[in-house]
Amino acid sequence: MSTRLFAVGLSHRTAPIELREKVDFARDGVGAALSELAARGIAREMVVLSTCNRAEVYAAAESDEAVDDLAAFFGEYHGVSAAEVRQHLYVHRGIDAARHLFRVAAGLDSLVVGEPQILGQVKTAYTAANTGHHTGTILNRLFHVAFTAGKRVRSETGLAEGAVSISYAAIALARKIFGDLSPLRVLILGTGEMGKLTGLHLKAQHVKAITMASRTRASAERLAPQVGADVVDWTEIRSAMERADILVSATGAPAAILSRGDIERVMKARRERPLFIIDIALPRDVDPAAGAIEQVFLYNVDDLKGIVKENLARRSAELARADAIVNDEAAKFAAWLQSREIIPTVVALRERFEHIRRAELGRLQHKLTGLPPEAQSQVDHITKLIVEKLLLTPTEQLKSVSDESLAAAYSDALNRLFSLPAPEPSAEAQEQPAPVSNRRNS
Amino acid sequence: MRVVPLLFYAAAAAAYAGHFAWRDARVGRLATGLLGGGLLAHTFLIGMQTVQAGHAPLVGTTAAVSAFVWLLGLAYLYVELTSDERSMGLFVSILLVTLAIIPALDGTVSPRPPVLQSPLFTIHVLSMLFAYASFALAGVLGVTYVLLFKEIKAKHLGFFYARLPPLRVLDVMNGRAVAVGWVFLTAGVAIGGFWATQVQGSPDPRAQAMSVLDPKILIAIISWLVYSFALLARRTLGWSGRRAAWLSALGFVIVLLNFVPVGYFFTKSHNF
Repeated sequence: MSTRLFAVGLSHRTAPIELREKVDFARDGVGAALSELAARGIAREMVVLSTCNRAEVYAAAESDEAVDDLAAFFGEYHGVSAAEVRQHLYVHRGIDAARHLFRVAAGLDSLVVGEPQILGQVKTAYTAANTGHHTGTILNRLFHVAFTAGKRVRSETGLAEGAVSISYAAIALARKIFGDLSPLRVLILGTGEMGKLTGLHLKAQHVKAITMASRTRASAERLAPQVGADVVDWTEIRSAMERADILVSATGAPAAILSRGDIERVMKARRERPLFIIDIALPRDVDPAAGAIEQVFLYNVDDLKGIVKENLARRSAELARADAIVNDEAAKFAAWLQSREIIPTVVALRERFEHIRRAELGRLQHKLTGLPPEAQSQVDHITKLIVEKLLLTPTEQLKSVSDESLAAAYSDALNRLFSLPAPEPSAEAQEQPAPVSNRRNS
Repeated sequence: MRVVPLLFYAAAAAAYAGHFAWRDARVGRLATGLLGGGLLAHTFLIGMQTVQAGHAPLVGTTAAVSAFVWLLGLAYLYVELTSDERSMGLFVSILLVTLAIIPALDGTVSPRPPVLQSPLFTIHVLSMLFAYASFALAGVLGVTYVLLFKEIKAKHLGFFYARLPPLRVLDVMNGRAVAVGWVFLTAGVAIGGFWATQVQGSPDPRAQAMSVLDPKILIAIISWLVYSFALLARRTLGWSGRRAAWLSALGFVIVLLNFVPVGYFFTKSHNF
């Protein structure tokens, strides 16, 4: 009997947030879930993937019953009724399970299609299972192919390209204008939530310095430590703007606070050094006409939203290419899985035939000894050729089977028909095929 | 044999275009490989011509164009390998293919007239060609800067945004290319001027035509002025970014006009 591959789980596509909150393997660590699974002996190999949008178990098991056991485990482990979990669970078998994992790793199944974090999360899930010795030949291979598929989709398609949040769109723009962000100075005007968020994002990019200014100095001083910023007086913002490379304007002022003339004067003092202005205030802080000044790159919230929208549209246009890569990798994995099923059988079959040939030659030894040595080797050669020819077509046929269950059925049939020994007496623990006569109820 | 480099450059240009359009790393590596192959074939060709003629094939505009293509290819390949940035390859290889057609049509190596039998001549030609190669890179960087600048200014982040390196990188590289080119241009013009005074007594009519008013020399001096201004304006007036980009594109157009049409049809002093 062959090993079967399963993926059982629920995600943002199938389960409401309330259930996803309850079914969360990460709460006690995936290690605990893996140990519990191992203790139940449901599967031989398993990986638990848990993110805020999905909870999944990938398993390689001996029998199809593992699916029911896994489904039950989802409810029991989290103290949720089996019926409640079951209606939201999906089950993928064999190559469909592999394809599902590849889609997940490539970000195709994510809430925000193409988001890059998921590949890291898949890697972490695999590493946890691998260090706990819960993976074997099949899942090791499966996950490594998944990493390849994820990387290929990222590098060969535009699926993960283009920021899909306003803050990241602003940072991506800054990178396209300045390249390296580390020598840059940032000035943040205003102490609202948006200003703070953008400041935190920029801090995470390791800019050289962040300066904050607010009409009430106290509120800037309150917020500055969180963003790692210095504070300047509102009256000093002109000179602070002359030093800055990026200006984030997010005040709650009822009208524009910086006119085109203000920015022109600043630019003159900066000797045309580029200035990237992110105006995330509503109403806008900076006169839009300032965007026409040479070397001023002025983006407001609507501009950034427009970019995000374009990026999302572009991502969905790349879906077909990403799917093609996933299918390509799935086909390769299927071929490997199937050759893994078939090759031991082929080897065993050839060994059986060779054994018979040698046994027959041995039996005729006393008659052959009378022949001259050339004739003896001719006999050896001819018998070998006969065996080769007999096996040629079945071997080719076996290797060309692309359907996993058919391959398993062929393999099983050959094992029984020729009483082949277990091909892998290792930890794989293949079932020893019983002689045909014992299986028949005659 | 003389069309082999052209074929390689054309194949490289096609691969660079493919890389630019699809951004497939394998196509990019193929493009670099093809360019390398073209340069190797070109090196071999120049080597053969040197052996055949007994001197470096730098006499006449056709030979100079061939040497320029070779130098530009090498200079670009160096920049690509050190910066790991292939997006300029498309623009540079189009220039290489266009110019490589000239030596591919005519492979004869001109004999070196007695007036050019001086090491100063070789140094003059090589520094000028190296300056031109630098200016070609600066021009390409300038054009790509403007393309990207327009997209960012128009808030329409599209084709070039996804493919070109950041504006500042393009600007800094442009500044360096102009500076390196200017040093070689200055040296080339100075050596040329010094050498021209030495051959004034020569009976060769071309030596006698060496004057500031000869189109080739005049336009070389104009391009020197343009690049000197570009360097100075960048340092003192803050003319970086788009203005510097336009200046270097303009400078290269002048250089190219002087190099090919003036070299073939108008000069009386440089038509060897």
